[in-house]
Amino acid sequence: MEKWLAISGLVLTAILAWVVKDAFHQEWTEYQETYYRLALLEARNEAQKEWATNQKFQVKQLRSGDLSTVERCTTCHLATDNPRFRDAAEPLRQHSDLLESHPPEKFGCVVCHGGEGRAATTLEAHSGGRGVYKPLLKGEYLEAACYNCHGFDTLPAEDTAAIRHGMQLVNRYMCQGCHQIDGVGGEEGPDLSDVGTQRSWLWLYAHLARPQAVTVGSTMPVFALSRDEIKDITIYLMTLRKSSQQMYYAAALEKASAKSTPLTPEKRHVESKPRASLRSVVTYEGADLFHADGCIVCHSIGRVGGQVGPALTHIGWKLSTDDMKKLLHNPDDVLPNGKMPQLYLTDQEIDGLTDYLKDLR
Amino acid sequence: MNEGNPPPGNSSPDAAAPGNPPASTRRSVRDFFHLIYVSIFRSTYPTTVRQRLAVVVNNLVLHVHPTRIYQRSISPSYTLGLGLICFYLFIIEWVTGVYLMFYYEPSTGAAYGRILDLDQVVTFGRVMRNLHRWGGEAMVAAAALHMCRVFYTGSYKPPREFNWVLGVGLLFLTLALSFTGYLLPWDQLSFWAITVGTNIATYAPKLGPKVRYLLLGGPTVGSDALLRFYTLHVIAVPSIAATVINYHIWRVSKDGGLAAPTENEPSDEPGAEVTPQPTSPVIQTFPTVLYVELAAFAALMALLLVVSVWFNAPLEQQANPLQPNNPSKAPWYFLGLQEMVSYSAFWGGVMVPTLLTVFLVALPYFDRKRRGIGIWFAKERRPIMILWTVILAGIILTTAIGVFCRGPNWKFYWPWEPWPGPPA
Repeated sequence: MEKWLAISGLVLTAILAWVVKDAFHQEWTEYQETYYRLALLEARNEAQKEWATNQKFQVKQLRSGDLSTVERCTTCHLATDNPRFRDAAEPLRQHSDLLESHPPEKFGCVVCHGGEGRAATTLEAHSGGRGVYKPLLKGEYLEAACYNCHGFDTLPAEDTAAIRHGMQLVNRYMCQGCHQIDGVGGEEGPDLSDVGTQRSWLWLYAHLARPQAVTVGSTMPVFALSRDEIKDITIYLMTLRKSSQQMYYAAALEKASAKSTPLTPEKRHVESKPRASLRSVVTYEGADLFHADGCIVCHSIGRVGGQVGPALTHIGWKLSTDDMKKLLHNPDDVLPNGKMPQLYLTDQEIDGLTDYLKDLR
Repeated sequence: MNEGNPPPGNSSPDAAAPGNPPASTRRSVRDFFHLIYVSIFRSTYPTTVRQRLAVVVNNLVLHVHPTRIYQRSISPSYTLGLGLICFYLFIIEWVTGVYLMFYYEPSTGAAYGRILDLDQVVTFGRVMRNLHRWGGEAMVAAAALHMCRVFYTGSYKPPREFNWVLGVGLLFLTLALSFTGYLLPWDQLSFWAITVGTNIATYAPKLGPKVRYLLLGGPTVGSDALLRFYTLHVIAVPSIAATVINYHIWRVSKDGGLAAPTENEPSDEPGAEVTPQPTSPVIQTFPTVLYVELAAFAALMALLLVVSVWFNAPLEQQANPLQPNNPSKAPWYFLGLQEMVSYSAFWGGVMVPTLLTVFLVALPYFDRKRRGIGIWFAKERRPIMILWTVILAGIILTTAIGVFCRGPNWKFYWPWEPWPGPPA
């Protein structure tokens, strides 16, 4: 028995040593080692040399009191303020000039870049692994973060192009026929007023591409969207937030510069009023309107179209033109508890649609 | 007997070697340490049979053991060491749990961040959380397996009926410990698992919804639920469990040690004198049993450490009451229940668990024949063993379906079939 006790005791001791080594050797210690070694090579005077030699390996935190956030991004991203690392590879690369107007001590990193600020490993901070719902914002998706504090007014137009396009597409495809945004829209699908905080851009992108692949049994129609369209709608949806953090920034911004007016939900609502921008872009008539502008998404003609509303293949037999006009003018007058949304069509559009529909026999 | 006496003086030949202190100094240093040793253990290292018996009786830790046990009781193929493993896991959970308590904060705003801190930057935080998580899940499994071992060896028969009942209580306490701990990370996984788990309780008529309200401190899982689960998890349930565990182990030796077959079949007549003649040789507890137990602990701890370094405890996005997980699954040990509930809420959620509990508690008071005690799969007990095996297979099957085969909307998927869902 003594033999087994000795063997198991030795094995346990060895494993404990391994556990200790594992706990003290982290990914970030390697980055810090590299950075201080490079900083020592780059040092131009004694003071810089001494600084680089005397650095301790430690977790670095940015704390924002106002936002009550703790962010550890700078544990690995050590060179954000070091101009000699302008062209270095990540994570040891200098940040762009934007850092001057956005001091990280005040704002942190996550408010623009997304990701999990508390994490200290690449996998979890950038949420490539188990935290799949909070991925970093990259490329054009960063526009959503800019917009969330600044709104349209203070940003150059080219920096909000994707958002504006996304907004137009949301109007064009009548998303608000089924979804509410800031109190306007149908109740068939989930409210999207806070979708920017509820869902990640990865989820939104996948869902827009093929709703049923992400949400089992979703009744959302499959829109034939191009990749660019999906991207722009996703960026727009990422700007839909109710979070108090954004309101805090908006208020702070308002205080800072009385000129620029930050975007409140009320204002955003005005800007994204259903179809407000659409009519100024294109005018449709009849069949074009029906097929290109969303009706087909819920209603089918023949084998083409959605399953949410009734099939309209033989609608010409079933409804008189007067009833059609009445229904298109305001669906609730004819079908008080129906799902069909109020589409705010012009008389001209109603006439065109009725012309087309009455011939479907 | 030379208890309390210093050992005979030792004058080794090298005492006179140059540079060494004189023998008398060394002897007095040795005497001094001996003094301290005896002040703690009250005797010298036991060498005679009588000393070895005395040391078990006189030592706080050792005295839960009988002074002598059957050789077969420490045979790994008899007990599989499962009861001991349960006990060790409880201790490991205790120690790692206290470590986590230094960092954890039971509020909906802070809890998730604290868990991230533990995982990401606290020294040993991740390995401690992993140990606590996997140790807890292992404890549920070990308690269930221990119960099966006791059943299949007929060890619950008189005079051990009540200790079986205590054991059933400990199984439920283990489940309660694990279930209350499940909510604490406050991520999507824990939030929806507890929502589903506590919903199963509401299928009980009248009392069910009230029990759920009492447990959660409200109609839904919220900040009160987190505080309640925390209090239950760190003090209420562990202190009850620790008490019952002590009682359970103490009863083992009071009921005559581990069950063992006897040469002369004892009479089934109530009140008949039982004089078991053990078929197995008797050994002294000290030091063999102590060594076996320590070796088992080292092996268990080593295994658990390896698992905890390699596999991280699950952590999903922070809990969001507006966004249900699909599928929302209860903790794995309740997935058999959830699977049954998906067929019939009343039968699966109320009748089956109630009947099972009654069956478990009542078992030793109906199955009293003193045949086949201490033997794996004794022929005399075939009918009841078949019943038990069928029930066990049912539980394992429903649990396995719930764990491996249920996807979004509780639809059936084979484990190798992909679920629809967002890209990883």
